[in-house]
Amino acid sequence: MHTHLIDITKEKRFLGSLGQRLTLGGGVAGIVGLAVSFGLASTSEDGIHRLWWSYLHNWTFFLTIALGALFFVLVEHLAKAGWSVVLRRLSEGVSMTLVLLAILFVPLIFGLHDLYHWLHADLVAQDHVLQHKASYLNQTFFLVRVAVYFLFWIGAAFLMHRNSVKQDQSGDHLLTGKMEALSAPFMMIFALTTTFASFDLLMSLDPHWFSTIFGVYFFAGSFMSFLAFLSVIIVGLQRSGRLTGAITDQHLHDVGKFLFAMLVFWAYIAFSQYLLIWYGNLPEETGWYLRRQTGTWSSLGIVMIFGHFLIPFLFLLSRHIKRRPLLLSLGALWLLVMHWLDLYWLIMPEYDHALTAIPFSLLDLSCLVGIGGFFIAAWAWFLRRCSLIAEKDPRLAESLTFENA
Amino acid sequence: MSTGLSENLSQDPRQRPTLVLGGKGFTEVTDTVCAVSERRKWPAIWYIAFACSLVLLGVLGACLTYLISTGIGVWGNNMPAAWGFPIVNFVFWVGIGHAGTLISAVLFLFRQKWRTSINRSAEAMTIFAVACAGIFPAVHVGRVWLAYWLFPIPNQMSMWPNFRSPLLWDVFAVSTYATVSSMFWYMGMIPDLATLRDRATGKAKQFFYGLFSLGWSGSNRHWLRFERAYLLLAALATPLVLSVHSIVSFDFAVSILPGWHTTIFPPYFVAGAIFSGFGMVMTILIPCRSAFGLQDLITTRHVENMAKVILVTGSMVGYSYTMEFFIAWYSGNLVEQFAFVNRSFGPYAWAYWTMFSCNAFIPQLFWFKKVRQTMLLAWIVSILVNVGMWFERFVIVVTSLTRDYLPSSWGMFRPTSIDFLTFLGSFGLFFTLFLLFVRFLPMVAMAEVRSVMPQAHGIVGEGHRPFGDYWPDSVHPERQRKPSPEEE
Repeated sequence: MHTHLIDITKEKRFLGSLGQRLTLGGGVAGIVGLAVSFGLASTSEDGIHRLWWSYLHNWTFFLTIALGALFFVLVEHLAKAGWSVVLRRLSEGVSMTLVLLAILFVPLIFGLHDLYHWLHADLVAQDHVLQHKASYLNQTFFLVRVAVYFLFWIGAAFLMHRNSVKQDQSGDHLLTGKMEALSAPFMMIFALTTTFASFDLLMSLDPHWFSTIFGVYFFAGSFMSFLAFLSVIIVGLQRSGRLTGAITDQHLHDVGKFLFAMLVFWAYIAFSQYLLIWYGNLPEETGWYLRRQTGTWSSLGIVMIFGHFLIPFLFLLSRHIKRRPLLLSLGALWLLVMHWLDLYWLIMPEYDHALTAIPFSLLDLSCLVGIGGFFIAAWAWFLRRCSLIAEKDPRLAESLTFENA
Repeated sequence: MSTGLSENLSQDPRQRPTLVLGGKGFTEVTDTVCAVSERRKWPAIWYIAFACSLVLLGVLGACLTYLISTGIGVWGNNMPAAWGFPIVNFVFWVGIGHAGTLISAVLFLFRQKWRTSINRSAEAMTIFAVACAGIFPAVHVGRVWLAYWLFPIPNQMSMWPNFRSPLLWDVFAVSTYATVSSMFWYMGMIPDLATLRDRATGKAKQFFYGLFSLGWSGSNRHWLRFERAYLLLAALATPLVLSVHSIVSFDFAVSILPGWHTTIFPPYFVAGAIFSGFGMVMTILIPCRSAFGLQDLITTRHVENMAKVILVTGSMVGYSYTMEFFIAWYSGNLVEQFAFVNRSFGPYAWAYWTMFSCNAFIPQLFWFKKVRQTMLLAWIVSILVNVGMWFERFVIVVTSLTRDYLPSSWGMFRPTSIDFLTFLGSFGLFFTLFLLFVRFLPMVAMAEVRSVMPQAHGIVGEGHRPFGDYWPDSVHPERQRKPSPEEE
């Protein structure tokens, strides 16, 4: 070696007791959060119906983060990236939470009737458009599709994680080649499954509305929210004394650049969709936006333009901010909130078309705590035994000494 | 000096592959690149190619003269297909002009070192393609001498272009793109022009290279400014890669014509543009590397990487076709469904299936290593990509216009011989410019290639090179830790 590297064996690179605390704390938060949600819902009129919407919203929020993580793992293998090797294990952990999200989907099966009105036989009978779609939008096919998506997502996340952990032991560089070879077809399937998942889970909440760009919009938010989440966990872990030498401001800078790029990409896709529908002005498309521009919903739209784009754009533009852990994680937290609101804006206007005010409810927060708690717990649980860095990755040296231009 | 490898196709993750082959050092790289424009006797193939290009350029000149002196009626544009070949050719050429900036800006930000061998010629190609593109809307206005009315110039008639029209946005988008990519291309070339200046023997060459290298002396101060400017321009040019073709897609998508009005158009057009641009870069560079002996700089690995980019972007285009098809069905909108059935089974089905196979199926051959690494095969695929992307624009423009909502207003589009000749002639302009570029300017960015060679980072000899493909990758002294005892 020409360069003396940071000695990673001296690094605090296991979750250890923090992992136990996170699993336990997250699990308790999960149980309490969901129990409170259920309690709140069952004591109020129409509460259970409302609960499903909050549940779907928050479940989707964490699903997008996990899918973003899977994308990141795949794309870094696909591009044979060097800089990001020190971040990969953390990302693998996030992608493994797809297992949890699959389990948390199960209760949703009982709420489908409350969420998707294409399941209401009486409505379909009067609606020729829904009759036309019935061969696609029906309960059996919907559940089969969701099962297929999760089978693939979990399979891909699992294979990538398992081979990566195997390499920690054996140091076999051929495993890298194997993961790179898998990442190419996985990426193709990822694109299709994620797109159709976004159509099924979110777009079909208004089964009359359609937009070909919707899958890209969903992906943009997913990857952005994952990068934000990654920034937050890096900073959190470093504050606990872990990975302090391995992950440097150089890596934070690159994650920040990616985050910046993705928030611009999100804005680009959101703008494209809006402009084309607004300009075309066809009632079958504009109805969806009209609901989001009526009453207090319009203010949430303004919040999106400023909060999800202009303000973080200016904030993350600076190299200085991207390299400061505290400032970067502040921007990242902000964007996570914005992403949560973005999904709220996608989902909730379909809750009740007659409603022109934002139907904010405590359930939105209690579900966030509940699902979020389980999410953190699952992340820590999947990383409980392995190192937090891909220890013997052949490109680890490159990543450890990585220097930004 | 460096390793005398003759191949760099290793997939071993433990070591980044060498990007320059044949044991070349800095001097040899400079010599190889300069030799292209410094040679006294040019190969016969260059003269033959140049003669052919000039003939085609003549055809373009004749067609445009005839068009301007006679009127737009010499083209096949007529109701219902009021937009015919000119817009198809415009979008085709603008699309090709996307690879250059992607390679020089986006791949720069992604630290893809291999781009240094191909960025210069790709940028040149970009500018020439945008020049070809610009011709079509300019002459399509009919009264060419009034084409400046496209710009919002204050005038005594208080006459303004329609700011709500995406055609006007095109004027801004394309002219911005042309300006920024020319600037990027020229600025990146300054150090290399200085190299040519310093080596020039003739007076004229010394004068012109000297003039355009702006007094470059290669001092640290110059390099510092250069690299900073390069990074800034790359950051500014990156959104342009997305914006130009997004706005071109708005030309269609803001309308409500079935087959045009769909929200995926902006990213779909951008992916298609990069796809076609890389197709053209490959079509040009594969013959160039053997004609000018550049195989050690533009190696098989470079071609393979380009093939992978084509595979990725081709798949994105295939994804967009799938989405359009699926949503056309899913929407339950009858005219939308008809538009797609008409494309695939109507009178232009032959064009549709040419497009579909060339864009979505044939690039999938790049999954096979053999196809990526065999120059002839890769070259054939790249040409088919170009064919497919021309047909894509043809299909979009013609099928939607000729059969829209009202069957009573349907018709067919019949291009005239002038349509075909003008399109053919635009290749004359493109190749004439490109061949002149090869003749007089450094077609590989020597200075950038040198900077990604291991020698540039103090690594000499056959030793292990753990850090590779990115530029710059030197290790900052402050971040090097003291060696631990067991490492010593």
